[in-house]
Amino acid sequence: MTQIPLPLLRRHLLLGGAALFAPASALGQVAPRTGTLKVAFLGLDTADPHRHTGSIAVQQVYVEGLTSIADDGTVKPFLATSWEISPDGRRYEFKIREDVRFHNGRLLTAEDVRANAVRVRDQVRGGWLSAPMRLVDSLEAPDARTFVMTMKEPYGPLLNLLSELWIVAPESEGWAQTIRQPIGTGPFRFGRWQPNVSFHAPAFTQYWQPGLPRAEAVEFSLRDDSDLSLALRAGDLHIGRIGYDKLASVRADPNLEVQFMKDTTWWFWSFNNRNPRPPFNDIRVRQAVSFMLDKPAFMRFVAGEAGTATNQMAAPGQFYWDKAVHDADVHAAPNETRAHALLREAGVNPANTPCRIVSWQSAYTEIAVQAMRKLGFQVEHLALDDIGAQRRLGQYDWDLAPFSSGPRADIFLRFVRLMSDGPNVGLWGGTRDAEFDRLVRAAIAAVDLNERRRLYLAAWQRAMDNYYTVVIGHAPEPIANRREVTGYSPGFTWGQHRVDGGLAFGALTARG
Amino acid sequence: MSSYGAALAAPPRGSMKDGFSFGMAILGFALLVAIFGPSLVPYDPLTQELAARNAPPDAAHWFGYDHLGRDVLARLVAGTRISLAVALGATLLAMLLGAGLGLAAEALGRWPSFLVFGVFDMVRALPSILLALTLMVALGIGIIPLIIALGVAYAPHMALVARAAWRRESATGYVAAARVMGAAPLATLWRHVLPNIAGALVTQAAIIMPRAITTESVLSFFGLGVSPETPSWGRMISGASRFAESAPHAVLAPVLALCVVTLGFAFVGDRLRLALDPLREHGR
Repeated sequence: MTQIPLPLLRRHLLLGGAALFAPASALGQVAPRTGTLKVAFLGLDTADPHRHTGSIAVQQVYVEGLTSIADDGTVKPFLATSWEISPDGRRYEFKIREDVRFHNGRLLTAEDVRANAVRVRDQVRGGWLSAPMRLVDSLEAPDARTFVMTMKEPYGPLLNLLSELWIVAPESEGWAQTIRQPIGTGPFRFGRWQPNVSFHAPAFTQYWQPGLPRAEAVEFSLRDDSDLSLALRAGDLHIGRIGYDKLASVRADPNLEVQFMKDTTWWFWSFNNRNPRPPFNDIRVRQAVSFMLDKPAFMRFVAGEAGTATNQMAAPGQFYWDKAVHDADVHAAPNETRAHALLREAGVNPANTPCRIVSWQSAYTEIAVQAMRKLGFQVEHLALDDIGAQRRLGQYDWDLAPFSSGPRADIFLRFVRLMSDGPNVGLWGGTRDAEFDRLVRAAIAAVDLNERRRLYLAAWQRAMDNYYTVVIGHAPEPIANRREVTGYSPGFTWGQHRVDGGLAFGALTARG
Repeated sequence: MSSYGAALAAPPRGSMKDGFSFGMAILGFALLVAIFGPSLVPYDPLTQELAARNAPPDAAHWFGYDHLGRDVLARLVAGTRISLAVALGATLLAMLLGAGLGLAAEALGRWPSFLVFGVFDMVRALPSILLALTLMVALGIGIIPLIIALGVAYAPHMALVARAAWRRESATGYVAAARVMGAAPLATLWRHVLPNIAGALVTQAAIIMPRAITTESVLSFFGLGVSPETPSWGRMISGASRFAESAPHAVLAPVLALCVVTLGFAFVGDRLRLALDPLREHGR
């Protein structure tokens, strides 16, 4: 079940729900649920799944979408069993899975799906789904099992993005404003939530996948702990994210094992593209600064052996990554001599030039700061927390911003942030480039996958040529689990429930 | 002030004199390191050798490298200057704000005193660390905001000591004489009272300084002190603590330095407090 290129579609029918879930059916005979999985990933910022501000690790255990991002990054049916896409790429007809029950026992219908799509379209501002929802022409539920979404123009990433349009029963408390007690269809129910402390989700006994979930409950720690390795080693947690600097000590513990997420986090530094201050509006200066980057050393620092240096937003080996572009990277190795020569050519004396760097409070940002110091600039480093950094980035009174960004359900979610009207544009310097926007829009409208790839690469080449954002490299996030946990594996994104894995498949052996 | 010198010259117990000398030796050494240290260490505290990150001490790098491949000794020495400067700046500001405002308000009468100390009491209701933390969030990171935050946080402590000293002195004959002679309240404060309560203020300063150093470390540990690459002891502890298992040298060095200097201030401050305690001077 992989996504079929759109040009091949002549009202092409994607089937496969039955085949896909055959293994799940076989699970009907497995042992009864045991134990509570104690896990820690990211936070839960709101009980309303439609209004989340970026964190998707927690809510996916109690709500599900029509589609799901599988381990290999492809989109698979989930609450939809299949879909048809019209030849012009505008009309999507979904068949809704039968026998799916909400946590209150009511059967899911196409009208529920439509109500959720309408709610997101009409009530939610910002976020990943805002861009496709602006392009929705109509939302219909002609019968109980059919949901039809018609777009004003072709929209390639739609199926992937629908994996995060979570379906909630409209009778959920707070539906008209902010949902406080979501009634979803996921393997676990929305239980006790103490913001920034914990979230307890008991198993849903009428879950539609037989045999799942395998645990009696899952309990998320929502505390903002920077190091979970000790809690994992002590047995206070069963599964949790760990830092790359803890890989060696965690691997040395016979009670723990390390797995990696399937998509990567990527590191980059962005220039202020919206309101660049001289001399950082000069391409030669941006080039000089970029020649100070020691990408291999940087990636070894942040991720050790798991890191890979490259110059693209897609990780090496992925469909949208291009080897020729990678091989042509002029910043693959640092060149301080060239950097100084470029500054001289631009008539810049760095000793007299202030350079304001905005970043999070992460150690890797100090490498960027030191690189700028080494080049001779008068560096002012503002290391801020997440909200502080976003606010400061939005002021566009800075010059350089080293950051990182995590896995995403679709490559578009990386490109969209460089677009003029994308979400969180500050992180990428607030680029306003009509030609870049045009190329990305053409890419998402392209019905041929290879053409889409070509357009994305053209857009990225433009970003590189103008030094909007300089990619340093990629690394998959390490996740550790205690050995008494069986069946769990991290997925492509941070979502902890998906069609082919996640917490619903996790169980504790007697040892746990 | 004469009691100050006399008490130091004739301490009641040998161990206390030893403690004062030991404390002064520590602080003197720290001061020398802060002034001359950076020119004696052949490494830059900011230069990174990523290939040598967390490398243990060797003949060339006595204290080893930290998690970003920076020389720990160079950072420790540079950090001494920053930590002492922050402590000194914050204490001076606390003295200026606390003692200055407090004494002026006391000298000007009941209502100014009521208002000023009402504000100080409100500020004092918050723990100093919490107040400093809040101020740092508002002011942003950096050495100057740090000095301001710590100075404001410790100002009420200084004000209370100043008020107690003022009230004690204002009941004495020389203050009454000055008033009878027609001296203005602020002039009385400046010319007559201040020289006689300076000892108490200096003692309080000696108590606040180590607190300021540790609070700076805590704020920097939370990412709210100086900028991340600045080699303050708090930042060093914060950065290296994640690697305490694999590279204990990088975290131990600033922790020990912090402990020793705090101990030095504690010895000196305690001795000054005893020496300048008027009750103790009169054997009561």
